[in-house]
Amino acid sequence: MKESTRYNRQIILPEIGKEGQYKLSKSKVLVIGAGGLGASILPYLAAAGVGEIGIVDDDTIEISNLHRQVIYKTSIVGKSKAEEAKYIVLELNPEIKVEAFAVKLSGENAISLFENYDIIVDATDNISIKYLINDACLVTHKPMVYGSIFRFQGQVSVFNYQNGPTYRCLYPDEKSNALNCEDAGVIGITVGIIGMLQANEVIKIILGIGTVLSGKILVYNILNNEQQKYDFEKSSDFVITKEDFDSKYNSFENQVEEINFEILLNEIANDEVLFLDVRNEDELPKIEFKNSIQIPLLNLEKEIEKLGKNQIIYVFCQSGIRSKIAVELFNKNQFSKVKSITGGALAMKQLLKEEKI
Amino acid sequence: MVEVKYFGAVAEKTKCEFEKLSFSEELSLQKLLNDLNEKYEFDSLTFSVAVNQKIVSKASDYTLKTSDVVALLPPFAGG
Repeated sequence: MKESTRYNRQIILPEIGKEGQYKLSKSKVLVIGAGGLGASILPYLAAAGVGEIGIVDDDTIEISNLHRQVIYKTSIVGKSKAEEAKYIVLELNPEIKVEAFAVKLSGENAISLFENYDIIVDATDNISIKYLINDACLVTHKPMVYGSIFRFQGQVSVFNYQNGPTYRCLYPDEKSNALNCEDAGVIGITVGIIGMLQANEVIKIILGIGTVLSGKILVYNILNNEQQKYDFEKSSDFVITKEDFDSKYNSFENQVEEINFEILLNEIANDEVLFLDVRNEDELPKIEFKNSIQIPLLNLEKEIEKLGKNQIIYVFCQSGIRSKIAVELFNKNQFSKVKSITGGALAMKQLLKEEKI
Repeated sequence: MVEVKYFGAVAEKTKCEFEKLSFSEELSLQKLLNDLNEKYEFDSLTFSVAVNQKIVSKASDYTLKTSDVVALLPPFAGG
């Protein structure tokens, strides 16, 4: 075996040594999301010599990403995040193996992806995906290194570590999705710090050093540098089997159909279809048609029976996330002709403007 | 007096990161949460509640003691 001096400075740490470096080289970590958090996590894992890294992201690099996703250069705007991140970390450390998955994580691919790795890192920006990652980690018995930010604050925790508490023990109410359609704004440093704390948890898990943030959530505020840890317990014995997982994520009635507003322009004012706005009443831009109504997502369950099960309904929210949750609710209530409008009111307004409607 | 800390989207609603609230009669956690909900209209927000750095059930009948610190922790979604 060729002796590289690459890892010398960390090998001389008594907590790591040659044995620790060997553990790193044998470890396999899957990072979901190559955005702000991922851009902070990936280079550190690669540089430290984590033997195999998988990167899942179906997005392409946009110019508005670059202020916080600092591994990408202006010249590669428009290219695949997963592919480019792979290229970047391999250049940083060609001694490791990196695989890019330019796909959206879904109920169909999560389990088979997770099975090939030891640790799953949640670097996503969407709450419903966090539940999916959590549940797939439960099925495959993998620890989930969670990180998330809101403006200048961040949260870090490790779920399902040695059968410890999970994301659902901390946040049992999955409807919290409702809040996350619009982007709250972010500066690169926040995701940088939180991503680095996640990378730190990954390294600790691999090496078996320090105290892993299991059963604890760390909340960090970069504006006043306060950090707090909150303890939480495993709620009853929470088990998700492969069957539970499939019926939640892969059953036919849970397939949310999406549709582009472009195809629906002729349906505006068509009495046979209904446009349903599930945003709250104060959300802008206002979008109203002759055949549109508004029921905020939170009231939908109560009011769903007012609608006919065979009614053709096109649901929209601000950016297309809450509307998907609404469609799931319709599907659960045996509605069969409900679709979610991709991109929500923001995309619709743009198109209405372009078409001068 | 109890101290209540607010995080994320909850702090956006309360427009402050913490406040100290005095109470004369016995105050249960549930009553405190109801009062805060009335004052700030959290209704559409999801959050977990911690007392003295430990997440507890919102339905718990815990009676608050002077010097308790309560925290409202919503999930974050950015990344």
